This record gives sequence, structure tokens and C-alpha cells, in this order.
Amino acid sequence: MLILQVLINGILIGGLYGCVAVGFSLVWGVSNIINLSHGIFIMLGAYITFWLFTLFHIDPFLSIPISAAILFLVGYLVQKFLLNYVVGYTQQSGFGVFLSLILTFGLARVLENLMVGIWSGDWRSVTTTYSGLSLHLAGVSIPYIRIAVFGVALFSAGLLSIFLYRSRAGMAIRAITFNTVGAQIVGIELDRIYNITFALGAALAGIAGSLVSLIYSFSPFLSTPYLSWAFVIVVMGGLGSIYGAIAGGILLGIIESVASVYVGPGYQQAIGFIILVLLLVFRPQGLFGKKFLK
Amino acid sequence: MIEKRKNILLFGILILALVFFPFLATNYWIRLFTGIFMYGTLAQATNILMGFSGLVPFGNVVFFGIGAYFTGITMLSLGFPFFIALILGGSVCFVFAFVVGHPVLKLKGHYFAIATMGISEAIKQIATNVKITRGGMGLNLPLVPLEVNASYLFFYFLMFSAMILVTIATFWISKNRVGYALRAIMSNEDGAKSIGINTPHYKVLAWAISAFFTGLAGGIFAYWYGYIDPPSVFDIGISVRFIIMILLGGAGTIIGPLLGAFFIELLSETVWSQFLFIHLGVLGAIIVLVVIFMPKGFVWFYRQKFSLEALMENVRKGKL
Repeated sequence: MLILQVLINGILIGGLYGCVAVGFSLVWGVSNIINLSHGIFIMLGAYITFWLFTLFHIDPFLSIPISAAILFLVGYLVQKFLLNYVVGYTQQSGFGVFLSLILTFGLARVLENLMVGIWSGDWRSVTTTYSGLSLHLAGVSIPYIRIAVFGVALFSAGLLSIFLYRSRAGMAIRAITFNTVGAQIVGIELDRIYNITFALGAALAGIAGSLVSLIYSFSPFLSTPYLSWAFVIVVMGGLGSIYGAIAGGILLGIIESVASVYVGPGYQQAIGFIILVLLLVFRPQGLFGKKFLK
Repeated sequence: MIEKRKNILLFGILILALVFFPFLATNYWIRLFTGIFMYGTLAQATNILMGFSGLVPFGNVVFFGIGAYFTGITMLSLGFPFFIALILGGSVCFVFAFVVGHPVLKLKGHYFAIATMGISEAIKQIATNVKITRGGMGLNLPLVPLEVNASYLFFYFLMFSAMILVTIATFWISKNRVGYALRAIMSNEDGAKSIGINTPHYKVLAWAISAFFTGLAGGIFAYWYGYIDPPSVFDIGISVRFIIMILLGGAGTIIGPLLGAFFIELLSETVWSQFLFIHLGVLGAIIVLVVIFMPKGFVWFYRQKFSLEALMENVRKGKL
């Protein structure tokens, strides 16, 4: 039954990985910004849930919309007042494209420092009354909380997809990825759409952060692993693809959990990175072929 | 021509000052400057690829780690003298970059940056798990057979010569056909190919040279600190730091990366000692401001004769 347990663990945690990567992938795919502060946004979401839980005793699952809303606002402001001043370079050759990356790295350090100031560098976790309960089925035990986290992760990716296909702003976002110049000709304001895109990406990071806080311990300095998962998954699933990110997340979850049991827990991450490099070299369009947004 | 002579003269005076500096300064300052020279070497080494070809090797720290570990392991297990171990360490990095470079340098822009990051992280995890590196326990190198003050001077001049060496190499490359080929690749890779430049060859060569010097710096670092472990020598933060130094000073210039190294290291030392709790934030804020106002670096700002209008022009140019 071990293999079944390993697979289920991998799939359930993979949903969360997908949620971690979706916002990152969206921003990168639409505005060509590699957001190195995505990991910090996730930690911020985790701390918002932590605070609401310990100070006001709000159930962690109910705090998810709140952390999404706060991060949406943060993301909007960051794009409007910082990133929009460098995205003009992304069209140029050379390392113009890297300026947004360096800028978000600097921003991440500022936010990290702020978070240490507010919440200190201690490890925190959110433990509810139902944290320890699990479902026992055919020799496999599954914590309820992981099922719920998996559900919320898929649900939020679904919401994003509906937004992109049904709302005017969502259609404008997709139009930009099809043809930036054409979209501007028909009257889409590039900077406004970039603001919304980045805000959406941050909001998804907030959701992912709230979910992370339910499963793992966290500290302001723990943002890097989430960022590297996001990188691996985006390359797996294809740039800007929502379903690709979720599928890539689940695949990575399965690979990691199988590798940690059958190869050794130390090699878990190494395998993820080796896959990343191999994919980039041999299949840069992602495992699932075409880019979903395009 | 006069401008050029003035620059060479300034450069000479600076080198002389740095040669005499350690005989006047305390050990604290010698150690600080050794660190600056290390980052100067790293930044200049990466500048060889990044500055001329526009490819950003985010995971170049992997060569720092390999150089450090190779030097350490050959000294400990095989009993090699330091200098032979050091040169071997650098050469291993050269070969590694050469082998890996052929597939990886087919990638462009972001994708190359991420692939190098992936390689660096994968090697770090492997180094943590294999026996020969003693994993997370780290590696204790043999002590330097010198008394304290002499060992400070030894590493000061060792790092200093590494920095000078890599700077000369960069200067030579910039005047050489390799440099011209790389610049052609930066402005238009397909165009460069169509006029008969063997683009993969030059990119791989530039990366391998930059790997050699990065490995040297890693080897010296290992002997200098006496203790290395995977999280400290494969830290992606080191990469990010020297890439920021390159951008800050001016990518593709000879003096820029060194200026960046001096600025960031001195600044972070000051901020670190004065405002311990916000030092990360201050550094981050400076990075943000530099990217917005001065994306082409100090050297560019100097060439613009420090005009504030040019700074504001940058803000307009970057805006959509």
C-alpha cells in the first residue's frame, strides 16, 4: 500500500505546488516579468492567515479571501509604482529583460526585512482543532486538511481561468499575450492590464500562502523553495498556462514524493532541478505542448 | 587620446594605492578588502559572458562552489599543494562549463538564466548528499602555514591578483575577436550567424573562461575561510549579488563591475554595522532605485557627466 500512499501524498501536495506556480506563470507569460518577490508574497499570505487566526480566531480557510484581497492590492501598487517604470525595457535586446527581475529581487529583500520587523524571524505555524484528523481508506491515511487544501488550490485556479475567459479585463489580458501591438491598437491600455495581471498573480500567491500556512511551518526567510518550485513548474507546464501549472504542480508533487521514498529524501529537490534543466534544453515549450494562453 | 591616458594613469595610481594599502591598514580593513576583491573577481568573471553577450548566468555561483570543493578535496585527500589544487579547481570549472555549455547555451534570455540556476541548485543538492564532500557536515581545509598577520596579507594579495588577472583577461577579450563576436551576438544573434560567426563556439568559450576565474575565486575563498559547506558556497544569493554589482557598475565595461563590487560591499558593511536590523531592506531599496534611475550603471552615469536630466530620461524610457 506504500506506493498508493506515496502517490496520493504527491498528488495532494502537487495541487498546492500548482497554486504556488499559477500566479507566477501568469505574470511571466503576460508581461514578461519574472517576479522574484513571488515567494515573499506567498509568505505574506501565510502571515496574514497566521495573524487573523491567532489575533481574531478566524478560521484559516475563511481568511483565504482576505489574504487574496490584501495581496491583490499590494500587487497592484507594486506594478503601478515600481514595475511600470522598467517594463519599457523588456522589449529591448540585451539584459533589458532582466531589470524587472533585479528590481523584484530588491523588492523581495525590502519586504522580507519588513516581515522580520513585524513578525520576527521565528518559525510559525497555524494549528487548528481539525489539523490532526485524517481519513483512513483502504490502508491509506489522508489528512482532511490536505484534501481541503488541494480542493481550494484547484478551485482558485478554476476561478482564474473563468476570469480570463469570461470577463472583459481577462480577455484584454489574453489579447495582450496574443499580440501586444494589436491589442493596443484596439484600445487596450497596456499599463492598466499589466497592473491587473500582476495584482492577480499576487492574489494567487496570497491564496497559496494561506494554504501553505495550514500544512507547513513558515518564516520570512523561507520564500526561496516556493520560488524555485514555481520556476520548475512553469517550465514543465509551459509559460502562462493555468492548466499547465496545475498539471505540472501535480506531476512535480508525484515525482518528489516518489523520489524521496525510493531514492532518498536528500535528492528530492535535486531531481526537480535536473528535470528543469533537461526540459529547458530538450522541451522548452513545456511538457504539454502549446502555450495555453496563446 | 588624452582622456584615455588620463584613465590609464588613474588606474595605475589606484593599483599602487591598493598595493600599499594593507601595510597601513588594520586587519579588519584588510579582511574587508579581501572580500571586496573576491566579489570584484566574481563580478568581472561573470561580466565576460554577461557584459558582452547579454546572457545572464544566474547560477554562475556553481563554479564558485565547484572550485572551492575541488580545491578543498584535492588538498585534503590527495595532499596537493594549494596552488596546484587551485589551478586544477579552476580548470575543472572550465571543462565543466565547456561540456554543459554546448546544450545549455542554445537557450536564450530568461531560459538560459533559469537553466544555470537549475544546474547550480542540482549540484548543491548532490554536494549535500554524496560522501566525498562530507555532505552537510562541511569540509575543514588545512590551515595556512603562516602567522596571522602574514596570512591576512597572503590572501589580500592573492585575491587582489585574481581580480587584476580577470580584469586583464576581460580587457583583452573586449579588444579581441571573441569580444566582437559576443557583442555581435548581443545585438543580433541570427545576424551574427549569417555573417559566419560561429556563435555557439564563442558563447561557450566566454562562459568557460568566466567559469575558470569564478572557480579560482572559489578555491581561494575555501582556503581563506578554512571551512566550506554546500549552503554557503552554492548560495544563489552570491550570484545575485555579483550580478547586481555588474548592473550597478555598468555591464560590458571594464571598470564597472569592480566599481559595483566596491560600492555594494562597502555599503553593505556600513549598513550592516550601523543598522543591523534593516540592512537587507536598505540594500533592496538601493537595488530598486538603481534599476529605475540608472539601469546602465555608474559608468554610463559618468559618461553622461552626472546629469540629473539623464536620470529622469531613464525613468521616461523605461515607462510604458
